[in-house]
Amino acid sequence: MNQGIDLKASFIESLRDLGLPPGVAKLIWMPLPMFLMIIVATVGVLVVVWLERKISAAAQQRIGPEYAGPLGVLQPVADGVKLVFKEDVIPAKADPWLFTIGPILVVLPVFVSYLIVPFGQNLVITDLNVGIFLWIALSSIAPIGLLMSGYASNNKYSLLGGLRAAAQSISYEIPLALSVLAIAMMSNSLSTIDIVNQQSGYGILGWNIWRQPVGLIVFWIAALAECERLPFDLPEAEEELVAGYQTEYSGMKFALFYLGSYVNLVLSALIFAVLYLGGWEFPIPLDKFADWFGVEPSNSWLQIVTASLGITMTVLKAYFLIFLAILLRWTVPRVRIDQLLNLGWKFLLPVSLVNLLVTAALKLAFPVAFGG
Amino acid sequence: MFNVLKQVGDYAKSTFQAAKYIGQGLAVTFDHMSRRPITVQYPYEKLIPSERFRGRIHFEFDKCIACEVCVRVCPINLPVVDWTFNKAIKKKELKHYSIDFGVCIFCGNCVEYCPTNCLSMTEEYELASYDRHELNYDNVALGRLPYKVTQDPMVTPLRELGYLPKGIVEPHDLPAGSQRPGQSIPLKTEA
Repeated sequence: MNQGIDLKASFIESLRDLGLPPGVAKLIWMPLPMFLMIIVATVGVLVVVWLERKISAAAQQRIGPEYAGPLGVLQPVADGVKLVFKEDVIPAKADPWLFTIGPILVVLPVFVSYLIVPFGQNLVITDLNVGIFLWIALSSIAPIGLLMSGYASNNKYSLLGGLRAAAQSISYEIPLALSVLAIAMMSNSLSTIDIVNQQSGYGILGWNIWRQPVGLIVFWIAALAECERLPFDLPEAEEELVAGYQTEYSGMKFALFYLGSYVNLVLSALIFAVLYLGGWEFPIPLDKFADWFGVEPSNSWLQIVTASLGITMTVLKAYFLIFLAILLRWTVPRVRIDQLLNLGWKFLLPVSLVNLLVTAALKLAFPVAFGG
Repeated sequence: MFNVLKQVGDYAKSTFQAAKYIGQGLAVTFDHMSRRPITVQYPYEKLIPSERFRGRIHFEFDKCIACEVCVRVCPINLPVVDWTFNKAIKKKELKHYSIDFGVCIFCGNCVEYCPTNCLSMTEEYELASYDRHELNYDNVALGRLPYKVTQDPMVTPLRELGYLPKGIVEPHDLPAGSQRPGQSIPLKTEA
């Protein structure tokens, strides 16, 4: 399976032509995609923060940020710079170590999860064979960090917020994992690349939205709860808990939480796009068209076009989902903690289990359509 | 057996209903995004206060007969009326008059009850100051003419919703001379 652009291979190849041993060439290559991904994730967050503020403003018939840069695009940058220069306060009698490690532990797994997000056939940092499972495993580290920072702040609101965050994350991880499991069952793989490839070939008709309509809804609800987005933002419910586990944080540590929550939202949207919306696939099967017009699959122009189109499609799908999340934020009121747990355990969990069983049955019955 | 099925059916129905309602809500939010912002860019644009706006109180020193009705009708006896009795003409003579707008609730009772109409409400509302003692207006400050939004060359005056023509909800870019329903004379705002 070696179609499309393979930047890694060609980069290492060109370094080896310069006379470097293959090990060194690989070592030089390794940090490049990682740094690129961190930059992409951070810039993505800046864009999402700007979009969030502008779309929120539009939904409320306001204007939103408009002075920092054209249309206020530099507002998130200004916010970030302000937070960097703010004083870093550790409250009296707080546990300084846990207080510092908390936000790091929340942010780090989210960034590491970007390892498995594919933007094209070879445009992924690592094609792990446990790909999507890595994401689920890493996302269960975040509640530890949340609990840690909530406990270490020496503040009632922080502690309550931390406990709520932990309860919420743990209860919504199960339906999330179950709906992902149904996908993994259909594509016979946990690798994100294989999941997308299983959906490819028929354009929009091949995507998993048609095969997993229930799983899609369960996944998106659970993902919103994992990201602590508005219908489920109880851990930081400002009317009751000041700001939850973030109450005592300021400066860079607060910025880490802020960054973490938005990076997580972008990540969830990207994963959603990969799992259900065919990842980098264009709504019409491009390679078929190229075949009809007699363009070779090894044509470099075709490869460049499909690669850039793939990146654009992935990002577009992710941003569409983020738009949906923002719209949902101003539509749906916050649920109570008992409603939250009821929804998680009594609705999403059984529904996702049934979805899993039905998917298994369909896979046995129609192996052609459900990846037998 | 069938009872269970009915329960399942009811549950599914209520779930679909909830999803439908959320969908309707999303449609409402989405619709709002295509509407124009109603933002008033405050220091540069200001809404014209309505006719019955209860702003800073204006006081005419010469009209006042120092009857102290304003003090009696005030919920907190706020106006300070300083007078002496002039025995020669057998009349009260007003020396000082002051109202502390840091305490005033702008209920307008004093204006309502003043027998000589020496008190009146203005449309001035920008009273902020760095020292609360500056809010204690004496008779000189109370006698100043109020600031008018329509006379400030730095400010674009905008009409409030009730003063807009029928069907228009947004005061920006109104055609000149447009008038509100029921009003025969155009409001002099766009001049």
